[in-house]
Amino acid sequence: MPLRPRLLPQRGEPMTMTSFFRKKRLHLTLLISLLLAAYAAAALILNFNSLSFLYLHLGIDWLAVNFIPNSQSLQYWGNILEALVRTLLVAVASTSVAGVFALGLALLGAQPTGPNAALRWLIRGFASVLRNIPIVGWALLLLFSFKQNDFTGFLALFFLSLGFLTRAFMETIEAIDVEKIQALQVTGANYWQVVAQAVLPEILTPVLSWLLYMIENNIRDATLVGLLTGTGIGFVFDLYYKSLRYGPAGLVVLAIIMLVIAVETVSSLIERRIGMIAD
Amino acid sequence: MLQVRHLSKIYTGKQPSLDDVSFTAQPGAVTAIIGPSGAGKTTLLRSLNQLITDDAGEILLENIDLRQLKRRDLMKQRTKIGMIFQNYNLIEPLTALENVLHGSLARKSTLAGVLSLYSRQEKGEAMALLADVGLQEFAYHYAGDLSGGQKQRVGIARALMQHPTMMLCDEPIASLDPRSTVIVMDILRRLADAQDMTILINLHQVDIAKDYADHIIGLNSGRVVFDGPVAEATAAAMAAIYAAPAQAAAAAG
Ligand SMILES: Nc1ncnc2c1ncn2[C@@H]1O[C@H](COP(=O)(O)OP(=O)(O)O)[C@@H](O)[C@H]1O
Ligand SMILES: [Mg+2]
Repeated sequence: MPLRPRLLPQRGEPMTMTSFFRKKRLHLTLLISLLLAAYAAAALILNFNSLSFLYLHLGIDWLAVNFIPNSQSLQYWGNILEALVRTLLVAVASTSVAGVFALGLALLGAQPTGPNAALRWLIRGFASVLRNIPIVGWALLLLFSFKQNDFTGFLALFFLSLGFLTRAFMETIEAIDVEKIQALQVTGANYWQVVAQAVLPEILTPVLSWLLYMIENNIRDATLVGLLTGTGIGFVFDLYYKSLRYGPAGLVVLAIIMLVIAVETVSSLIERRIGMIAD
Repeated sequence: MLQVRHLSKIYTGKQPSLDDVSFTAQPGAVTAIIGPSGAGKTTLLRSLNQLITDDAGEILLENIDLRQLKRRDLMKQRTKIGMIFQNYNLIEPLTALENVLHGSLARKSTLAGVLSLYSRQEKGEAMALLADVGLQEFAYHYAGDLSGGQKQRVGIARALMQHPTMMLCDEPIASLDPRSTVIVMDILRRLADAQDMTILINLHQVDIAKDYADHIIGLNSGRVVFDGPVAEATAAAMAAIYAAPAQAAAAAG
C-alpha cells in the first residue's frame, strides 16, 4: 500500500521503519502543540481563567438547588405542555413541507431523473446555500420580515430542512443502480411511470429515515429558534428564567428532554419496522 | 425476424466495440452470442433495443429500422423486446407480483401506471406468468428476499408481461448455480419452441450454448468471427472465437 506523500522521507533519504515512525510521532506532537497554543490564545483573549474548571461543581450545585422543579412549579405544567406541543408541530410541519419540496427538487436535480447537468448544478448549489446558513442565521434574517411569531420559526426550519433534505434525497436517488431504472425504461414505461414504480420504491426507506432524522433535529433547533422568535418552548423557558422562576424553567428543560427522548424512541421504532419490510 | 446490418459503435477514440456487425436471428430459434470478455456482447445487445446509441448500421425488427424511429415510436417498439440481465434488476422493495406487473406499464395510461392501478385481468395474467416460471407461491414475497434463480425467473416473467416477440438476455445465468442455470435455460428454450419467439442470449459458456442454442454467433474485438448453426460449431471454430484478437480477425477472413 502506498504511503501518503507527506509522510514520505525527504528526497534522497531512504525510508526505514524507524524514520517512518519518527516522522509520524513528530506530526502528532506538532498537532497537539498547535491545539494547546490555540487554547492558550483563546483563554487570553476571552479573559477565561483555566482555573474556572476547578469551580465547575459550584455551578452544578447551584443548578441542583434552584432548577429542581418543586410542587409549585407544577402549576405551570399546562402552559409548558401547550408550548411543547406547538414546538413539536412546528418541527413536524416544517419537515413535512420541506420534504415534499425537497423530493421534487431532488428528482429534477438528480442525474438519473433530471433533465440536464446545468439544472443539476443549480439545484445542488441552491441546496448547499440553504443548508450552510445556520439556523440562528435563518431565524435572525426572517425576523426582519416576519416578526416574532410561529411562522418565522417555521420558515427558518423549513429553509434549512429544504437545503439539507434536497441534498440528501439527490444523493439517495443517484445511489440507485441505473440498470434498475433502465430495466423499466426498456419495457416501454414512460418517465412518470419509471419514477413512481422504480425510483420511489427504491428510495422510500432512506427517505423516511432522513425525514425522521430531520424531525428530531428540528425539535432541537425549534427550541433554540423559539428563544429568538419569542414562540414555543424556547420562549417559555426564556420567560421563566428571566423572571427568576427557576423551578418552572427547570421543568421546561425536563419537558424538552422528555420530548426528545420520546421522539427518538418513536422514530427508532418506525425505522425498525421499515427495516423489517426492506430486508 | 431480426436483421442486423453493418452495425458499428466506437465509445472513445480508436478501438471499435462493434465493428461492422451483421447477422440474422430467426423466430423460434435460440441464438447464442459468445465471445471473450470485452468482445462487445453487452454493447451489441444494448444497441439492439437502443439502450445505447450506436454509430452506424441498421437494426430491422420485422422490417422496421429501430435506429430511424422517433422516441415515441421507439418506446412502442420496445414493448415487443423483452430484456433480462445478469443482475436481474428487479425493484427489490416490491413484491414479485408487482415486478411482473411492471411489464404491462407501457400499455397503461401514465396515471394508472403511476398509481399501480392494474386491472383484474392484468393481475391474473401476471399470476399466471409467475405460475409458468414456477413461482406462484412467491407472488407476495419481496423480490429482495428471493434467491438468484428465483429473481431471474421473475425477470423473465416481467419481460413476458410485455407480450414480446423477441427476448434479449445478457449473461442471464452468469450469477446462477448449476440447478438454477438449467431451470432458466429450459424456460428460454421453451419460449422459442412453444411461442415462436426470437431469443438472443449472451453467454460465455460454450457448452451451455451448444446444449441450448440453434445458432451461434462468435464475437471477438467487436467483430463477428463465427456465424453458423450449432452443428458447425466445432471445437476448432470455438477456439478461434476465444483466440487473441489478431488471430480471430484472421480467422474471420
Ligand atoms: N460505457 C462504455 N464506455 C467506454 N467503453 C465501453 C463502455 N462499455 C463498454 N465499453 C468497451 O467496449 C468493449 C466491449 O464491451 P462489452 O460490450 O461490455 O463486452 P462484453 O459484454 O462482451 O464483455 C470493451 O472494450 C469495453 O471496454
Ligand atoms: Mg457483457
